[in-house]
Amino acid sequence: MSVRDLLSPFTAWKNIFRDPVSIEDPFNREATERYRGFHQNDVQKCIGCGTCEAICQNGAIDMVPVEGVEGISTQPGDSGLRPRIDYGRCCWCALCVDVCMTSSLSMSNEYKWVESDPDKFLFIPGVDKKQWDDAKHGYHRPSGHRLNAPERIEMPELEPGERIDSFVEIVGGYSVEQAVLEADRCVTCGICVATCPTHMPIPEYIAAVRDGDYEHGLKLLYDSNPFSQICGKVCTRKCETTCAASHEGDPIAIRWLKRHITEQVPYERYRDIIGGPAPATGKKIAIIGAGPAGMTAAFDLARNGHSVTVYEAESTAGGMTRYGIPEYRLPSETIQRDIDLILSMGVEIHYNTRIGSDISMQQLQQDNDAVVLSIGLWLGRSTRIPGSDHPNVFKAVDLLHRIRNGEQLDAPKTMVVIGGGNVAMDIARSMARLQKQQHGEINITLTALEDKTHFLADPVEIKEAIEEEIRIIDSRGPQECVTDDQGRLLGLRSWKVLSIFDEQHRFAPTYDESDEQLHAGQWVVEAIGQMSDVSLLGEDLTEKLEWNRGRIQVDDAGRTSEPWLWAAGDCVKGPDVVSAVATGHKVAASIEAMFQQENADA
Amino acid sequence: MPEGRGYQRLKAQTSLEDILVVATEFERTARDFYAGLVPKVSKQIRYLVEELAREEQQHFDLFTELLARSDIAEQVKQSIKTPASDRRFSDCIHLPELGDHPDDQAVLQYALGREHAAMEQYRSLAESTPPGPIRDLFQYLADEETQHKNELEKRYYEIVHSGGV
Repeated sequence: MSVRDLLSPFTAWKNIFRDPVSIEDPFNREATERYRGFHQNDVQKCIGCGTCEAICQNGAIDMVPVEGVEGISTQPGDSGLRPRIDYGRCCWCALCVDVCMTSSLSMSNEYKWVESDPDKFLFIPGVDKKQWDDAKHGYHRPSGHRLNAPERIEMPELEPGERIDSFVEIVGGYSVEQAVLEADRCVTCGICVATCPTHMPIPEYIAAVRDGDYEHGLKLLYDSNPFSQICGKVCTRKCETTCAASHEGDPIAIRWLKRHITEQVPYERYRDIIGGPAPATGKKIAIIGAGPAGMTAAFDLARNGHSVTVYEAESTAGGMTRYGIPEYRLPSETIQRDIDLILSMGVEIHYNTRIGSDISMQQLQQDNDAVVLSIGLWLGRSTRIPGSDHPNVFKAVDLLHRIRNGEQLDAPKTMVVIGGGNVAMDIARSMARLQKQQHGEINITLTALEDKTHFLADPVEIKEAIEEEIRIIDSRGPQECVTDDQGRLLGLRSWKVLSIFDEQHRFAPTYDESDEQLHAGQWVVEAIGQMSDVSLLGEDLTEKLEWNRGRIQVDDAGRTSEPWLWAAGDCVKGPDVVSAVATGHKVAASIEAMFQQENADA
Repeated sequence: MPEGRGYQRLKAQTSLEDILVVATEFERTARDFYAGLVPKVSKQIRYLVEELAREEQQHFDLFTELLARSDIAEQVKQSIKTPASDRRFSDCIHLPELGDHPDDQAVLQYALGREHAAMEQYRSLAESTPPGPIRDLFQYLADEETQHKNELEKRYYEIVHSGGV
């Protein structure tokens, strides 16, 4: 042993004059500002998507119902669930905070919690009140730090200059690489499924895109929606309005991913993947109208082995998707592929057959076990302002029908459209193409009561209409279709709309009459609303049926007050393709249930 | 719009009682008009005409009750300066030509016109009447008609304007 060894213990004494390194009272020590302590959750901001639960590596998070807590309820875009943390499992990694889709979840810098009951450590942040609920310090996801990409993959589209003089489809479709990147953004929370009227298994088919298993994806699509190719192009995509990704970025392009699946599977394979009909049951069903609702019901019932006959007044099937949506949004070929697939299930269709004149409702009742009414909304509403009975004042649905029917319209050099919905955009953009083709320039004014932020049209439609040189003048109240001394239509006189709704959000338009404009137009086209042509029912059946504020009254299953008659689609639910599909499924299920009950009773 | 017989009658009114009689007549003719229309319209829109008839009946009952109240009998006989500028109220006593089978839009447009005329008439009467219970009454009636008109406008928007998506 050296002298140094003997003296070295005493060198510790030199530290006696230094400040202590350890804290004297660790129980009252505050953690560092970004310490990952107990969780906080802004339950109003949280949508219960469960992404935190999915990412937790330790299974420490369960989504639990918290109905009854103020401000939380199950509603579109909110599952009504909230995360419960098990602190016996949590490893404080903060992945749950990093992935949170709304940034509602964070961690305080509080780290001390003493309980004698271990169950107390199953804790619902934001619901089980704690003293750290309002703590400012702790871990919050750093700005710009994201585990999933906030921006959607842009869809390739024709530029305005390339598309304006033709009816060629605008949207090109994703490549496989683009689709996988977009699918990767989905956190598979499933919030969207409840919002989709027909409850398509969205997370599952997006997962099929990620996995490259397109045939599985196609099966999932057609099990829930026989109009999948059509909806892949023109669905109103209510699902995207509640997408968890939309809270801090773009919603997942669900519609485009659906389209992508249908484009990746060879059409010849569709029938094999979807499967054929069950053995014949001998039951007969008549369906009036070959639109989305009627053909969906036909698809479901034919697959169950029933004999289905569809009666269609037009020369082709598809309803408003065929005659109301322009070719540049929905090519005829796409419609026909879905229709042919439905017909391949054994559905028979009688074209150019008008119920009420060619065949009576009574005849259909006698010849069938069930009848489905899916007659759409084919009659356009009119403003009925002075001059609106002029022969050059048209209804948008009539003009769109004529264009899709192949009629060669002589486009006027100037035109005014009244309306701010998708139908208004469709007719304005269709006529713009005809003007460009026939006159080389576009001169269309679109006016609507609403201001642009309250237009009913899809924002993409509005954007594209503006790109195509449609002049949109919002907040204008139509007053008169003005003519000259010779009775020629000069255009539309309008007043400035000051407000449309009162403080209770009731329709109560007020105008500034001093702000009057004449919008020049050799044609005026009204696109303000639509209604059903129920004249086919005849007086007796109209009297027998129960009505609900102008529409045929149906129960939850789509059955009318006449036990042999069901109704579905736009005529009961309003204009929307995917909602029509949903009601088609519903009436098919109701008819099926009736048949099963009859079999059980026999 | 030509001056109707109702306008001539109204112009000559000098007391609240007379005005209430005309107003009651206004509601009665409307009620009877809607009631007569019920069997003519399709069942699809019959609810609308029936609702309008019920609402006019409620107003008719209200005016009838006001006329019968003994506690305001003195005020009822009080002289009122009738606004000379307004003629739409009395014009609306005349029954419109809606055809044999009017649709929902035509019925609503007629009803809206009536309610608007009534609302303006009562408001004008309130403005030309000195403060007091009679003025309050006219203001109340104006508010009633305004509320009714608002309801009709909401229905009009839902039925006519909301299908064009």
